[in-house]
Amino acid sequence: MSVEAQDRVTVTRAVKTVVIAESRLSIDPDAVSGDEPLNGELLRVNSFGFVGMLVRLEDDLGVTLPDDLFVGRTFTTVDDLVSVVLDAVEAAR
Amino acid sequence: MTGLPTSWRSVLPHLTTPLPDDRSPDHVAGSGIGVNLPMELVRQSIQPREYWQIPDEVLDAYRKFRPTPLWRATGFEEAVGAKVPVYVKYEGGNISGSHKLNTALAQAYYYKRAGVEELVTGTGAGQWGTALAAACALFGLRCTVFMVGSSLARKPYRGVLMRMLGAEVLASPTGTTKVSRETRGQGNSLSLAIGEAVEYAAGKPGAAFCIGSGETYSILHQSVIGIEAIVQLAELDADVDAVVGCVGAGSNFGGIALPFHAEAAATGARPPRLVAAESSSTPKLTRGVYAYDQTDATGTGPLEAMYTIGSSYAIPDSHSAGLRYHGAAKLVSAMRHAGQVDAVAVDQVEALEAGRRFTVREAVLPAPESGHALAAAARLAADGAERGVLVCVSGHGYLDLAAYQQLLDGELSDQAPAEEALLAAVAGLPRVEGARL
Repeated sequence: MSVEAQDRVTVTRAVKTVVIAESRLSIDPDAVSGDEPLNGELLRVNSFGFVGMLVRLEDDLGVTLPDDLFVGRTFTTVDDLVSVVLDAVEAAR
Repeated sequence: MTGLPTSWRSVLPHLTTPLPDDRSPDHVAGSGIGVNLPMELVRQSIQPREYWQIPDEVLDAYRKFRPTPLWRATGFEEAVGAKVPVYVKYEGGNISGSHKLNTALAQAYYYKRAGVEELVTGTGAGQWGTALAAACALFGLRCTVFMVGSSLARKPYRGVLMRMLGAEVLASPTGTTKVSRETRGQGNSLSLAIGEAVEYAAGKPGAAFCIGSGETYSILHQSVIGIEAIVQLAELDADVDAVVGCVGAGSNFGGIALPFHAEAAATGARPPRLVAAESSSTPKLTRGVYAYDQTDATGTGPLEAMYTIGSSYAIPDSHSAGLRYHGAAKLVSAMRHAGQVDAVAVDQVEALEAGRRFTVREAVLPAPESGHALAAAARLAADGAERGVLVCVSGHGYLDLAAYQQLLDGELSDQAPAEEALLAAVAGLPRVEGARL
């Protein structure tokens, strides 16, 4: 598996783990699909919990998320968040 | 000689319990999630890291007015019958005339770095609006300020100064926002001005709302006040057992007081009494409840755990617009609840009289808000403190001379809330778990 592919697996799992915790659910991360809405019937992430999630992801993955990725941007699905974190991981490499 | 601090100091690592999580409004599925806060401000609000390096650009701006002076106010001591020394830390010597510039500069820097083009805010007395206008001018951002209309009418030169700095200044309620039309100008005037700013920023691309007092990151930026004061007191070989600041939401109080808490926690020493001086017309820390309440009038933000007299309570007009806020910052509230912060309420007549005496004996004119801190310091210095009192004079009063005129004319009065009105305003608020009711 390439480094990029490994990164995607790691980041996807980390993102799913934090959104599950933020939604106060006890389910397997594999049960959450990439196109699952962050703020929908299953996941219940809101903007106030979202910022705390970002800091947890930084701590968990050892990355720094850039400021300009977030201001004025809207996140709808799990994959939206995975994409941003993955960019930060790759930028740090 | 005191130097300029190169780091802010957070008290978060020294809290006995974590800050209560905010409560979100009722869940509405289907909407996307946006974050209008630069990541560094998010980190500063959450991470229990003690020291945060001040960016070079912000340090360069601080050098224009910091370190601020600290002196022993011997004339004031005599005027109020003090039995222990009173030391004053003065934050009025900058373009905004108050401590507010300490966080305005930091916030403008972080928002600019995040790609924001315009900052929007609400302001009561105008000190925060002026500070943000100045910071935006320095960092090349547009600035829009919603100022409480009654305050702007009383202090038109605040508006002139903000406009001179390039800001657009709007008297709140404007009638042009949904929140101002729905409230028809009733209720809490500062939270309405803030609510108008929130709504305006949300509908404008490239704009972001920012706020100057109650947020944990704002209090962090204000820690330069206390950090400097600790060093300056040591240089004077002075010792204090009480530290006083006035409280609107809590940033100047947090700035002067919380570094003393952090220093004591880090060294194992006993901290001085940290005394929050609030207006008796907005007595959230002395007569309010510890509950989840709104931070502004839109009702779209999170409910924060705070000592509050109720965001729906119509606070009577006063000369201390900077103290006319219904709740205390969640950080200050949590420390109050933990018994680490004391609070006293001060009438505006007593506050302005303390300000007058200070002016006469120290040749510095304090803002009416700061008069509350001086009155509380005078009480402690006369009875209560054993070694010394440090008080933060958070701003100057050159644009508040109408208030002093009323004092001289014997026309000032006080309006403490009736118990029934307070009970009604907090009746529906969910109490923080474990809080005394």
